[in-house]
Amino acid sequence: MYCTYQLTIASIKMFLRNRQAVFFSLFMPLIILFIFGSLDFDKPHGMHVGLVTHRPSPGTAQFVRAVRSAGTIPVEVGTLESELAKLDGGRLNAVLDVPDNLLSPLNAADPVQLTVYVNAGRPIEAQMAMSFINQLADHVSLSAAHVPSLFTIKQQMVNAHDSRYIEFLLPGVIAMAIMQMSVFSVAFVFARYKEQGILKRLMATPMRPWQFVTANIITRLFMAVAQASIFVALGTAIFRVPIVGAYWLMAVCVILGALMFLGLGFTVSGLSKSVESAPLLANIVVFPMLFVGNVFFSVSTMPAWLESISGYLPLTFFSDSMRSVMTNGAGPLEIKRELIGMLVWSTVLIALATVTFRFQEAQN
Amino acid sequence: MPASIEVVNLTKRYGNLTAVDAISFSVERGETFGMLGPNGAGKTTTLEMIEGLKRPTSGSIRVEGIDVRKQPDAVKSIIGVQLQGSTFFENLSLCELIHVFAACYNRKVDAHELLREVQLTEKADSNARELSGGQRQRLAIAIGLVNDPQVLFLDEPTTGLDPQARRNLWELVKLIKSKGKTIVLTTHYMDEAEVLCDRIAIMDHAKIVALDTTDQLLAKTGVRSRIEFVASITPAGESFHTLAGVVGLEREGETHRVITSDAQATLGALFALGRAGSLQMRGLTVHRATLEDAFLKLTGRQLRE
Repeated sequence: MYCTYQLTIASIKMFLRNRQAVFFSLFMPLIILFIFGSLDFDKPHGMHVGLVTHRPSPGTAQFVRAVRSAGTIPVEVGTLESELAKLDGGRLNAVLDVPDNLLSPLNAADPVQLTVYVNAGRPIEAQMAMSFINQLADHVSLSAAHVPSLFTIKQQMVNAHDSRYIEFLLPGVIAMAIMQMSVFSVAFVFARYKEQGILKRLMATPMRPWQFVTANIITRLFMAVAQASIFVALGTAIFRVPIVGAYWLMAVCVILGALMFLGLGFTVSGLSKSVESAPLLANIVVFPMLFVGNVFFSVSTMPAWLESISGYLPLTFFSDSMRSVMTNGAGPLEIKRELIGMLVWSTVLIALATVTFRFQEAQN
Repeated sequence: MPASIEVVNLTKRYGNLTAVDAISFSVERGETFGMLGPNGAGKTTTLEMIEGLKRPTSGSIRVEGIDVRKQPDAVKSIIGVQLQGSTFFENLSLCELIHVFAACYNRKVDAHELLREVQLTEKADSNARELSGGQRQRLAIAIGLVNDPQVLFLDEPTTGLDPQARRNLWELVKLIKSKGKTIVLTTHYMDEAEVLCDRIAIMDHAKIVALDTTDQLLAKTGVRSRIEFVASITPAGESFHTLAGVVGLEREGETHRVITSDAQATLGALFALGRAGSLQMRGLTVHRATLEDAFLKLTGRQLRE
């Protein structure tokens, strides 16, 4: 007991004095949180449409007035060349070529051809612009035909509070930070201990390997809880993220998540032939998960096959469980799937670690 | 009273390679025992088997009467170890390092007292990274002493150190010896083994080729003295081998080293050649033979090659 206790104390001191470890487990995720947190994805992007008129005519003037008075979208009027240049430069989302004969022979049998230019490199904007212009065309033709509107639409919110991006991001960043800390600090540090002969030196004492491993695991579980606490504190203080769920359940998720990734860290360390290959191998496993692990953006926007793979990744279970508890106030039963997922992954990865990780090189 | 260490027919094989080939020796209590030999001779492997770090292929090892294979932890708790390289945790001070290692033996020690013993008092709060090579080895020895061991193992403690640092370390080893501890050390420096060790085992190609006290070893191999000189003219067609008492020869350009079991007779013969005008010697020196000469005699090879 005394030995394990002292090893744990020493291990915590070493972790906190390791600037690299502190940077990557705390400051790096903080920087990411602040950068992504200050990008406001919630506000819709401004839609700008250019109108091209050739020869001023009462018809085109009336059309431009009608569009301007609708006020939903800022429009600019210019020549075809100048507006197309703006479209190409990305300052406009679409350019509408208004023909001169617009509205002069109001004849439904002979509709007027409207030409719309969009940027093929920005398909989503182009689509939005097209739907706007269609709506506009309908509106103008209906009013020109003096047909009364059949419907008016009133928008009503059903969500209790509108979910902001930061509320999605914060639990994701916590999961990411804990994953990075657990995997890299173990994979790299233990590969180095082994290469430098430090583990061998420890083996020359009556200390047992499990005592040293336990000390290091306790250290990192402690760090994971500290990371989560710091991020939750900053999230509520700076970004006003409401914490709806139970803290004890969040702690359970944090510890399960950290255990799972510690297992991965030891496995990577055991598989690495050298100190140089440890971070490389760790990155191969960890890096893809950053994008499909439900950390920065929801995987529901991704292709179905990717979404189904993502649903079984350790990081997805971890970030989803954190998110459900933090922002939706989920109870243990509601995150049953994620908890079981993390338990299974922990068991598999820890079993893998005990097979691959050795204090000393294999002996013949 | 049993010996401190008893090794019988100790063998270590890695596949087809035999790193240690059925060696036997024993070390008395309070003795400083040297294992000498070139790199790859099997010294470190032998030491690590005794320390319980490597499992022997066959043979038996007893340390203070305890079988290392049956009770490795019991042996580990009464020995102290300094491994080659001597790297320790970064980000811990020397004091903290000593406390951690003491905890591995479930002990508490006075770290400052240990550091004072190895003359590192002023470095107590430094990091192991900030130490020089000699200081790092002294730290490794201090850590090897945290459990007040009965036997201390030092694996090439002075490799890579400058002459001043080596001499400092020798003084430290002598101090530890004076406290009655059994010391086993490996080295590939002949002078080191000669200065520190009561007895010496010479290892080459996984076997012990000689084992005795320094003086006995020199006497047994018939090596007494080494005559060194620079010769611009040497007798044509004649080798120094045929001169009285000569047991070995070495030559580097014009520098000749003649190893002899009878310095007086060999010198007489050399002077006779000089008088006859067929040999001109400059810078003539006569040394008491060293282990290096004995090694040359025993293996037919230079030690550091």
